[in-house]
Amino acid sequence: MNKSIHSVLSCKAARIAVFAFGMLAVSCHSVAADQTARAQRLPGNSIYQLPISLTDQDGHEFRLSGKRGKPVIVSMFYNSCQFVCPMLIDTLQMTEDSLTPVQRNSLSVLLVTFDPARDSVAVLKSITNARHLDAQHWTLARTDDGSVRKLAAILGIQFKLLENGDYNHSTALVLLDGEGRILGSTNQIGEVDPQFAKLVRDAAK
Amino acid sequence: MGTALSTWLSLVWLAVVATAATADDLAPVGYVTVTPGSLTSVLSNSSDNRPIPVKPFSVRVTPVTNAEFLNFVLKNPDWGRDRIASVFADHTYLHGWKSATDYGDQTDRQRPVTNVSWFAAQAFCEHEAARLPTWYEWEYLAAADATHADARKDPAWRARILAWYDTPTDMHGPTVGGAANYYGVRDLHGLIWEWVEDFNALFISPDSRNQGDPDKLKFCGAGALSLQDKENFAILMRIALLSSLSGADTTDNLGFRCARSAVPNLTHTTPNQ
Amino acid sequence: MMKTTSRLIGTLFIPLILMAASHSAVADPGTKSPGRLSGDFGPPQGEPIHAILTSPPNVPPPIHRKFPAKVIVDLEVVEQEKEISEGVKYMFWTFGGTVPGSFIRVRQGDTVEFHLKNNPGSKMPHNIDLHGVTGPGGGAASSFTAPGHESQFTFKALNEGIYVYHCATAPVGMHIANGMYGMILVEPPEGLSPVDHEYYVMQGDFYTAGKYREKGLQAFDMDKAIDERPTYVLFNGAEGSLTGDKALTARTDQKIRLFIGNGGPNLVSSFHVIGAIFDKVRYEGGTNMQKNVQTTLIPSGGAAVVEFQTKVPGSYVLVDHSIFRAFNKGALAILKVDGPPKKEIYSGKELDSVYLGDRAQANMASVSVATKAAASGTLTQQEQINAGRELFAGTCSVCHQPNGAGLPGVFPPLAGSDFLNSNHQRAVGIALHGLTGKVVVNGNDYTSVMPPMNQLNDDEIANILTYVLNSWGNKGGTIDASAVKAERARPVAEQAGH
Repeated sequence: MNKSIHSVLSCKAARIAVFAFGMLAVSCHSVAADQTARAQRLPGNSIYQLPISLTDQDGHEFRLSGKRGKPVIVSMFYNSCQFVCPMLIDTLQMTEDSLTPVQRNSLSVLLVTFDPARDSVAVLKSITNARHLDAQHWTLARTDDGSVRKLAAILGIQFKLLENGDYNHSTALVLLDGEGRILGSTNQIGEVDPQFAKLVRDAAK
Repeated sequence: MGTALSTWLSLVWLAVVATAATADDLAPVGYVTVTPGSLTSVLSNSSDNRPIPVKPFSVRVTPVTNAEFLNFVLKNPDWGRDRIASVFADHTYLHGWKSATDYGDQTDRQRPVTNVSWFAAQAFCEHEAARLPTWYEWEYLAAADATHADARKDPAWRARILAWYDTPTDMHGPTVGGAANYYGVRDLHGLIWEWVEDFNALFISPDSRNQGDPDKLKFCGAGALSLQDKENFAILMRIALLSSLSGADTTDNLGFRCARSAVPNLTHTTPNQ
Repeated sequence: MMKTTSRLIGTLFIPLILMAASHSAVADPGTKSPGRLSGDFGPPQGEPIHAILTSPPNVPPPIHRKFPAKVIVDLEVVEQEKEISEGVKYMFWTFGGTVPGSFIRVRQGDTVEFHLKNNPGSKMPHNIDLHGVTGPGGGAASSFTAPGHESQFTFKALNEGIYVYHCATAPVGMHIANGMYGMILVEPPEGLSPVDHEYYVMQGDFYTAGKYREKGLQAFDMDKAIDERPTYVLFNGAEGSLTGDKALTARTDQKIRLFIGNGGPNLVSSFHVIGAIFDKVRYEGGTNMQKNVQTTLIPSGGAAVVEFQTKVPGSYVLVDHSIFRAFNKGALAILKVDGPPKKEIYSGKELDSVYLGDRAQANMASVSVATKAAASGTLTQQEQINAGRELFAGTCSVCHQPNGAGLPGVFPPLAGSDFLNSNHQRAVGIALHGLTGKVVVNGNDYTSVMPPMNQLNDDEIANILTYVLNSWGNKGGTIDASAVKAERARPVAEQAGH
């Protein structure tokens, strides 16, 4: 009797059957995947169309489109920025504070650095700790220079590296819906923009 | 029935041949190596406007043509007019083409492709292992005339450029391949506006009278870049145009060319596949 | 799109702040309507209105609405080649296809939703700065528009007045020099007083590589613009834009209002209408009025409103009174007024008389003495002779010579003339009416023409003849002005000398 399974499997016909079953399984999966993909196809005006990869403050790599699902406030900054960027984080925190806990939970914040050369994973982690940013909702990320430029272009943010290593950059808080479409933005920092806050509250429902 | 069928078959055959010809009948892409140097730019990089070093790079001799761009679209159908995501190009993308896969007249073959967005231009360049030139690289090349590396003080250089602003936009204008400048690069002036890699680094206030009055909260760092030599109107126009655009925008007279940083061990230029 | 929200917030915040501020402020005694919020009459009411825009020289009709509304303005920038002078072409950058651009008319307190479109055929990005906007850059920052795109921003027209608008894209001077300017009128809530005609005229200076009236397509000349050496100074963007059959028109006894602006980019205008006096000038387009003005200054980037009444028919020439600009660079326009003549106001030419100028020699004192004496009835013969001597010189001496000798065979002598001395009355007649035909003087024939000297008055002829009769061996005598008068009044047929 022990021999029976082996002898069954060693039979050519059995191998073919296993192979066929495997193919069937595979094809079922790919059909399902196609269907899922169609259902999940990104809208044409979603910024998640941008096929870039980033690394977060814990060293985990992720695709930009991985943020799909919940509304996100995206912005760009860099660590050596003395003036505006700390205010940017303040403003984001204040905006968060104006939400209810339920709303806060349905929202995430993504901050991408202009300066991947100096803002390593360790630097990003230290900022997260120093500013007591809730890692559950806050992602500080870095990517390559080319992707930084593309992300800025798609968000409508300007930036330029100066000779002394500083960056000139515009500041924008951009609100994305769950599908990555831009719902609105503000360049008011230092205080919460009430109109932007309302958009955030509506999106975070 | 025989005649009709053979006519139909001939037409089909011709169409196939024509398409095949369009797709493959392209000369290898011409890049030229540019002597490195430095540039005193219209847009300063530092508080005392020191010359900006321009590292070795190579650049396409001529802007990208309709034929070359079609070749790219055929191989990358997601960049076709009918499929492109609106976040990468607005509804005017390639609107002058006859269809998503046909630029139309054979006479348009060697005309510079226009109505392309920054994202599309970037994608094309990446496809040939290149990138868009940076603003400083572009300015460095554009400062030259036929015989001098920097002809910006020459009124004739300026006048020739300003004269282009007086001519109406013509989407069926000249083909690429005008006279070469000091670096061997053609068509930097007088043909089309061109994208640059850092088009969104050209910080001028959209109201140009605010120079020297930077909104500190708006622009981190030293404030908006100041424009040196305000008399350099010819270059100012370019900056104005580029700074009015977003990455998905196109215009009837805006095209591009590609560049490559000179990296050691870089293989020789490959034809556009 | 990214920045729209924040820009809208920015532009709306300012009027809100102003409203709040004026709530707490004491009403400015200088405003026309104390106690009312200055310029903000509350939120817009009723349906949004699409503003009527007109091409120069026409002006949209007056607004009769009594409440603030939302007004939508759609303005397109077009880069277009047009004629700047006959046979001379120039690439203009225009608001609405004209230079100056379309005229915009709104009411104080209106909320204006401004749509700026840039034609896809444009090479350049453009924006707009409206001097009537209270907000950063006058709207320029919010309206920066690439070719083939459209920008929108909203502002409240808080101040009434006439304001210039222009493009403020780098390089600003070039955009303005290429014709990118126009005017917006913000009417006071009670409207403007009714007039018969309102016209829109704007001066500008233009800089071409070629010379004035050099034919062909002319390029913009940056160096000339920086040096402020215009090739053309024009009303409404072209030579002849307001002359001939394109002249402004009116009838006599009509009230005219001109909205006159100056786009620059460089020159200030000394605006004058030849033959007219401005009854009222809102100088600099401000609130105050000046009256009875001949020439008013319009700064570059400024405007004024002038009003006058037409009375007499004719062609009235609008000029920049820096006059070489009018006659050598094209700064002139015509207002043609038709109607019946009004001689009591302006007669036209009444008299064309010889004006001796400085041929009438230095010492006219004796003439004044004689005139005074004659008036007081104390004229002496010597005074007549002295006056006559001065008057003889330059008039009679030309032919009869200073010594009265005449020209043999041509002009008869007066010295020792038997013809003269034998008949004084005849001499008076000849001086007045002239003489043709043969005369015999001192035995010699003279057949010549003496023109009538009727431009001289009675006193003058009397004095001249008195001098002649008492000079060069003549037999003496006195001619009285009354004798000359009597001779002048005689019917032609009887006049001595015929």
